[in-house]
Amino acid sequence: MAKTILIPIDFSIESLNTLKLALEQNKHEPLNVVLMYAETLSSSITELLFYSPGKTIQSLTSLQFNDAITIIKNTYESTLQLIRIELFHGFTKSALANFYEANKIDLVYLPMHYRLSIKKNAFDPIPLIKKSHIPYHEVSWNSNTRATNEDELNQLFKQ
Amino acid sequence: MSSKRKITLILVGSISLMLLLFGSSVYYFQSNYSYVDFYKRLATRVSVAEKYYLEKNDVNSQSLKRLRDEHLEKLNDEREYIELCKSPSDLERIANEKLLPIDFLKTVYSNTSASYQKNNVFYYGMRYNKATGTYLVIVSAKNYYSTHHLILLRNVLIGSGLVSIFIIIYLSYFFSKRIFDPINQIINKVNSISTDNIHIRLDELKDNSEITKLASTFNSLLSRIEIAFETNKNFISNASHEFNTPLTSIIGEADVALLKDRAPNEYKDTLQKILEQAERLNTISQSLLFLAQTGYKENRLSFNILRTDELILQSKVIMDQLIPHNNIQIDFNLLPENPMKLKVSGNKELLILAFTNILTNACKYSSNKPVLISLASTNNEVVMVFKDQGIGIPESEIQYIYDPFFRASNTGAYDGYGIGLPLTRNIIRIHGGVLNISSVQQQGVTVQVKLPIAKLL
Repeated sequence: MAKTILIPIDFSIESLNTLKLALEQNKHEPLNVVLMYAETLSSSITELLFYSPGKTIQSLTSLQFNDAITIIKNTYESTLQLIRIELFHGFTKSALANFYEANKIDLVYLPMHYRLSIKKNAFDPIPLIKKSHIPYHEVSWNSNTRATNEDELNQLFKQ
Repeated sequence: MSSKRKITLILVGSISLMLLLFGSSVYYFQSNYSYVDFYKRLATRVSVAEKYYLEKNDVNSQSLKRLRDEHLEKLNDEREYIELCKSPSDLERIANEKLLPIDFLKTVYSNTSASYQKNNVFYYGMRYNKATGTYLVIVSAKNYYSTHHLILLRNVLIGSGLVSIFIIIYLSYFFSKRIFDPINQIINKVNSISTDNIHIRLDELKDNSEITKLASTFNSLLSRIEIAFETNKNFISNASHEFNTPLTSIIGEADVALLKDRAPNEYKDTLQKILEQAERLNTISQSLLFLAQTGYKENRLSFNILRTDELILQSKVIMDQLIPHNNIQIDFNLLPENPMKLKVSGNKELLILAFTNILTNACKYSSNKPVLISLASTNNEVVMVFKDQGIGIPESEIQYIYDPFFRASNTGAYDGYGIGLPLTRNIIRIHGGVLNISSVQQQGVTVQVKLPIAKLL
């Protein structure tokens, strides 16, 4: 039975380093990955009428981000079975527990130093994750020392 | 013929044709109807006259007469003829007496009723059989309606048609002028731009019309041309500078040596220096030639299927020979598990030349600080990243780094000609790849090379 791990992301390439390191640590067993993006749901009924998670995810992913994911997929081809991107809309521990149950999460990996960048409507789910019952691991990498604003594939190649 | 005149003519022509069709059909059907209607009116009068004259004693006929006098409009030049006709031979006599056309009388006699028109006089006749004999009842009248109303209608139609054609000529001229004036303005403006004032740009309006798009297309074309001009100017000044420096020193050395007789040692020394400079010149012209060759699209290069990781390792071996103290590290952490995703189609010598060029720059400008090469692949591309910790490239100069002989302002302490990078870019381009350079000054340069994965059958 493949384990499913959860990783919070902010659709930047740097946040995928968590995924890279998590896969590195679980090299010898099959894995499913759920990339979680936390976003508050609009309270407007007309917006909810036309709400589509697929479109939201599509509008947030850039070409570079997709490239980075395929790079990681190619690198861990034998162990990595499936990568999904899911949106999380809850605020409470029980909402998160439901999310875990729905996605059959076994393990959570969090970045230790990297702070998720919070875009419009989004929020940082890490404090909530740390309070939940599922064990989490923290990984760290050398954060970007160069002050480049560009979201480039290069950010995946740090050591 | 200009498009303006053409559009005006087409508009005027088609609309006038439509007007002509419209007016003539109105006139035609109206005149047709007026004849039919007039004959009907004559027929009514004929039957009334019949009743009145031939059935005199009847009460009905009296009231009919009254009705006719009261209500039926007297037609223009209306005449009634009631003729007794005992045999067909009487017809000729009647015709002569009453000045009626003989053919018409014959038709009435044989057909019981008939109509006839001569000039503007209309005739309608009916045969009436009575015990006393056969009567021909004929009413004739002038068609006032057709003579006056139809002519008025014709005049109105022609007049209004002409007026509307004039309006249309004016409007279509006005509109085509309005449409084509901005284009003519653009033409005049573009014509006025030459090599001396290539910085001039067309005015772009705020709207999203085709004219605005045309102007902005011209503007972006002009910008590209301007950049190409600048590049060309830079190239000439840089190239002449590069060639000039060794030549000056050769001339200087030779001049000094020839000032007076010198010892053989001194000559040797001078010749050695001259040789050095000549070799430098040779290198420059060689690499320039190579740059020109790789600049052509069609090349008789042989392409093979190559593994990029091997290419990187071979480049590293070459670098170890060229710069023994280098500090190149290769990161294969993100190497794909499937080796097929590392294979590219390319020319081995050229690709190694490109990689060693990048690595030489990375080592040279960082004084052998660590250089990190990473390799990864997406589904379509192999991505290679060369990261150094050198002096970097000033941000304002990053747009010129692909110009041949351009050297950044902070490279004074390092040797070089400024041909390596354009050459590398040409090589990557030949292979259908992308070269991307980003840099932060004093922190280093990151070179990203993307090559398309070879499609193997």
